[in-house]
Amino acid sequence: MERLIQCIADNVVSPLGLDSLSNYESVKAGKSGLKRYESMGNVQTPFTLSRMDRQVIDEACCRLGIPEGQYTFFEKMLLASTIQAVGKAGIDASDKRVLFIVSTTKGNVSLLGDPAGFPSDRVLLGKAASQITDWFGNPNSPLVVCNACISGVCAQIEAMRALQSGKYDYAVVTGADEQSPFIISGFLSFKAISDDFCRPFDKDRRGLNLGECAATVVLKAADSVSDDCWELVTGAIRNDANHISGPSRTGEGSYLALMETLRCCRPEDLAFVNVHGTATAYNDEMESIAIYRAGLIDVPVTGLKGYYGHTMGAAGIMESILSMYAVMDHTVLATRGFARQGTTYPVRVSPELRETDGRQFIKLLSGFGGCNAALLYRLNGKW
Amino acid sequence: MGQLDYVILESDRAVVSGRVLEHESSGNAMLAELYRAHIADWPKFFKMDTLSKVGFVASELLLKELGEKRCESEEYTQNRAVVLFGTTASLCADKNYQETIQDRDNYYPSPALFVYTLPNIVTGEIAIRNHYRGETSFYVVEGADAAQMAFHLSCAFADDSTQSILAGWVDSTANDDFKSFFTLVRREDVGGLEAKLKTIMNNLNI
Amino acid sequence: MILKLKQEIIEVLNLEDVQPSDIDNDAPLFGEGLGLDSIDALELIVLMEKNYGIKLQDPAKGKEIFKSVNVMADYIQKNRTK
Repeated sequence: MERLIQCIADNVVSPLGLDSLSNYESVKAGKSGLKRYESMGNVQTPFTLSRMDRQVIDEACCRLGIPEGQYTFFEKMLLASTIQAVGKAGIDASDKRVLFIVSTTKGNVSLLGDPAGFPSDRVLLGKAASQITDWFGNPNSPLVVCNACISGVCAQIEAMRALQSGKYDYAVVTGADEQSPFIISGFLSFKAISDDFCRPFDKDRRGLNLGECAATVVLKAADSVSDDCWELVTGAIRNDANHISGPSRTGEGSYLALMETLRCCRPEDLAFVNVHGTATAYNDEMESIAIYRAGLIDVPVTGLKGYYGHTMGAAGIMESILSMYAVMDHTVLATRGFARQGTTYPVRVSPELRETDGRQFIKLLSGFGGCNAALLYRLNGKW
Repeated sequence: MGQLDYVILESDRAVVSGRVLEHESSGNAMLAELYRAHIADWPKFFKMDTLSKVGFVASELLLKELGEKRCESEEYTQNRAVVLFGTTASLCADKNYQETIQDRDNYYPSPALFVYTLPNIVTGEIAIRNHYRGETSFYVVEGADAAQMAFHLSCAFADDSTQSILAGWVDSTANDDFKSFFTLVRREDVGGLEAKLKTIMNNLNI
Repeated sequence: MILKLKQEIIEVLNLEDVQPSDIDNDAPLFGEGLGLDSIDALELIVLMEKNYGIKLQDPAKGKEIFKSVNVMADYIQKNRTK
């Protein structure tokens, strides 16, 4: 019998709150973590960013018993999120049947510019991830998913497969990224960053905002998933095979990933598609094409970048969690920053909160390297 | 399982299924030499970072060894995944990019270097070259462990579309310092996969 | 100036096996021919800033400037600050 995958606990640590519920309530109330900055280190160009207050993280770490001076900011975000999620799940994370999967794009890369007293091998993603497994006394070597902006969805897909295989019973899937001058300067060199609040899918969108966040889901392999519990049903990763940085003009990879997830649900059963919606000209246009081609043009679409910016390694996980809370609240969250339709295909995106009775959603992401990923979550049972 | 087809690339060594490939240079120059001798029709090669160059040359040599012709058939474009592992990921590109932003008076961040600070770009380069629209993934691990790699490769077949995986290991810490192996894993090969990876890895010091 | 600019373009864009004489002064830099893409366009913007002190905020403007080596050289002559 195929094992089903249940999401049993979650956490989001962001400028909008240190747990999932406070994050959801902030977003529902329309709050955003985005702020304009004039500079950071050698970056002397203005940009808008959702930045985690270092003091808030340090205080949270102190409350959670994480010793000072031993962990980088990136690791502290991951620890603050995983410790809370694992605690909520009530599992023994030191068991060998628990697998840790970390989603990040750049991890501790800021140590290249400023080592801050940490050993040089800490910049290796496996080394950083092992700080987390070591904290929990978990004996397995952690897997780091490093698939650019889609990593958070890929990490959940890989966890699902690892659990289905029967080798593990639980997976702790966590993701984060620190927004240092390294990443900010890079996206600025791509002319991809807006100095103003981002406007996903809007006619006047002028680029993305970056953001800091850590998010964690704890997944469990189960023979059955009870009513009103979340099941990770399926997911797929597909490549555009087109260009290493430019999104496909036909939305190829996103379309193929969507079609794969649609083998497990009907469009009319979807509460919404939570899109990438970075607010760059090309990404949002590409997503509108993929959604249209996949027959999802009538399904509500929602994007969260206007609240959090692009949180990279955390995005796929945090945006899945917020989507779960929205479904449980019969809500399609407002797409902050959107005002006027600005894509070739008129996807059903809205600046207002909407109601829904759907119990499933698709989380869609795309990233550099031509990669795209989609996954399907379902709240079991009926209203 | 018939003959074991694989490619090994190290800074001064290139091996295809047990045969040593002749070359005069080493490091990045060796990659260019192999490109000119065996590939030669993809000038984008010269724009790639070392990680992508290694992955690109290794994948090309392997596909040549397997006798595969690039084509638009579904067997290759829809059903082939590219799944790579490594410990150092994009560290080499990270260091090169960091140099362009380290100094306030010489701050010219390079987009062409920045894009390669994502290690999965190498999977994208291979997908573009071969029109592969299947899954592409890059996993970073603490060390090369055949059992761990075999497990996650077998997991990739959970996607019904995936019939074969261009799989490998690729590490690069500096422009002239790299280690890689590539092999093709078919759905029916999963049973003996760990042993197969171990055999290849015995020929590569990782 | 034209020759120097061509050499700079070949260097920053890693155009292996391309000689300055292979680049037609009036031919479009993008499109057919050199096989340049959007990242190359961004890298040319960095070249103009680094070597000639020209800051180009709007990448769309690049389309006009990179019409040909002649157009680009002309733009640089008129706008250079170093």
